[in-house]
Amino acid sequence: MRDNPLARWSVSGLVALTLLLATTGAGLARPEEAITPVDQYNTSKAKSLASTYRGQLVQFYEQIYHCLPWLGVMKNGIGFRQPRGVEADDRYLSVWVNIDQMDDGSFGTLPAERRVSAMFSRYGVDLLRRMVGLSGIAGDANVHGFGVVLSWLKPGTGRGPSAQPVTETLALFIDKATFGEFLAKRLPAAEFVNRARLSVFDGREALGRLPLEIWEDTFNTTFKLKGYEPPRDQKC
Amino acid sequence: MRSRVIRATLIVGVLFLTGACATSEDWREWRGHNTHFASGEHGFFSLRNNKDGSNPKVYRSDIEDARRQNWWGLYAIRVTPEQIFQN
Repeated sequence: MRDNPLARWSVSGLVALTLLLATTGAGLARPEEAITPVDQYNTSKAKSLASTYRGQLVQFYEQIYHCLPWLGVMKNGIGFRQPRGVEADDRYLSVWVNIDQMDDGSFGTLPAERRVSAMFSRYGVDLLRRMVGLSGIAGDANVHGFGVVLSWLKPGTGRGPSAQPVTETLALFIDKATFGEFLAKRLPAAEFVNRARLSVFDGREALGRLPLEIWEDTFNTTFKLKGYEPPRDQKC
Repeated sequence: MRSRVIRATLIVGVLFLTGACATSEDWREWRGHNTHFASGEHGFFSLRNNKDGSNPKVYRSDIEDARRQNWWGLYAIRVTPEQIFQN
């Protein structure tokens, strides 16, 4: 485990960020758009999973929407997807989120692999853990694993009236057994990373695998947005 | 007369240069959001809260609205779903 470089961020900026940000907002899903429609899958296995677990996917979306308002689910961002390049019809319950954050300057000083590590440690692990907790899905033999796709504004882009924003994106897919071992602390983070399918993108440019480190980060479960309370009946 | 021709040429030239750089995706984005400035809901949020930021009341819809009311003329360069998934 490493020191958390994100701890220095000004989390108070999140309020301003979520209210002001938004050059990366295009493509964010409204609630009815967040879940991949059944007719967009091309295999019966995927269609079946999407139909069977529709309720759990809605529940997952609502949990993100109400409990993690600094994350925005992308359009069709939740579904039983197949990572590009996989030949077998392996289905991963996946979520693609855009992360709203205000950079206080320190994030931009980190090299790309540290930014990716920080984002995965803070948001990726928590989202994977939440997906594992959805009723019935982890135990379904047709679900091969879980995936997270995290996008955020690349530091230094999108400033000024003529600067086009660029997002950095991490996509990581992991099989169920490996993630289970990792959660149970029976598998070192380095081995988890070795077994994961991961790719990093700078805008649309594929950077391939970057060295990924994982450390403890409880932000998602401890941070409170000032003035905001999730609905009383929402379990976070 | 000559100045009109020059002006027309300039306009056509500018349109061509700007249009030539825009992909069909650019135009779709532009057509879908024909205003540059956020308004409406964001204003309501400001009115509901004290100007000094004290006693803020943030509804989930405020956050979502603010996300959507952005500078649509420029959108982020982002990886496409096809680069990550196959269905």
